[in-house]
Amino acid sequence: MSCKAIRKQFDERLDGRLDGVQVATFDAHVVACADCRAEWQAYVGAWEVIEHQPGIEPSFGFVERTLRRLDEQPAVGRAWLWQPAVRWATFAAVVVALSVFGWVGGERMQERRRAELYAHVQQADYLEDFDVIANLDQIKGGNQL
Amino acid sequence: MTPNDSDVALMVRVREGDTDAFRELVERHQRAVINTIHRAIGDAWEAEDLAQRVFLQVYRSAKRYQPTAKFTTWLFTITRNTILNEHRRRSRHAAESLEALQDPADPESAGWQAPDKTAPDPAQEVVERELKEKIMEAVRELPEAQRTAVILCRYEGLSYEEIAQVLGCSVSATKSLLHRARLTLKEKLRGYYQ
Repeated sequence: MSCKAIRKQFDERLDGRLDGVQVATFDAHVVACADCRAEWQAYVGAWEVIEHQPGIEPSFGFVERTLRRLDEQPAVGRAWLWQPAVRWATFAAVVVALSVFGWVGGERMQERRRAELYAHVQQADYLEDFDVIANLDQIKGGNQL
Repeated sequence: MTPNDSDVALMVRVREGDTDAFRELVERHQRAVINTIHRAIGDAWEAEDLAQRVFLQVYRSAKRYQPTAKFTTWLFTITRNTILNEHRRRSRHAAESLEALQDPADPESAGWQAPDKTAPDPAQEVVERELKEKIMEAVRELPEAQRTAVILCRYEGLSYEEIAQVLGCSVSATKSLLHRARLTLKEKLRGYYQ
């Protein structure tokens, strides 16, 4: 087996993923080849030395403090309400609803104004012989229908 | 019953709002979560704060939890996302980070450690401390995905398949990440292992 092929197997050998025959081939090569042996020893050495970093222990009362923070959270059943996506969707829905209400309200108000003006024009006797269309702006005082 | 089965059973109870089950989950996994975060960010107090956020997220997400994967895989996925968020927050508000307040020349400030009662001789202690610092630094300086793969493989004993699930990538990509991380560590820690 070539040195390149052996070095490709470093991880599998390190993590115990080679079968018996592969291990025997790997080990025989490493014993015979000084370059691969040096590389392999460095590879294993670095991996072993990082285990030298002992873990820390949770500080006293960690669990209790976590449970206390739980009390500040919404109950599990309502937790979805706090999801950012839900909050954004709610905000967007409110904005859309306000826009629709505003538009519909504005349309209705304009319609009422038009109806009032129309009624007013209908009741104006002095306009009987008057060219309404041509002189509409004068009647309204500049307002538009 | 395997530990995973009992974790799943506990999660089912948490889903019903059972805080005793949640307490048991926290007690069972607190050390793994705190250490995973500590190894990634290097600050013990912040690691505890973030670990609490991880468990709160577990509680909040209990309704959506599906026992299709191992519980610890799901837990470490949440842990990884929490660390990523913390890194993003730190990069936005660099001054807020406690790490920024640490004196790099003072190894004590780099992370809280439980006091060592056995008290070895001071020279040996200095060498040990330097080694620990060097290792922590070498691991922390790895690119995020490589670092997570190393922490989960070396310290938490997860399989390639489980690490791939946490990282959301293929098993071959995970192997490649671990390989590159090991090559980097080999170079950075040269002189500490021979």
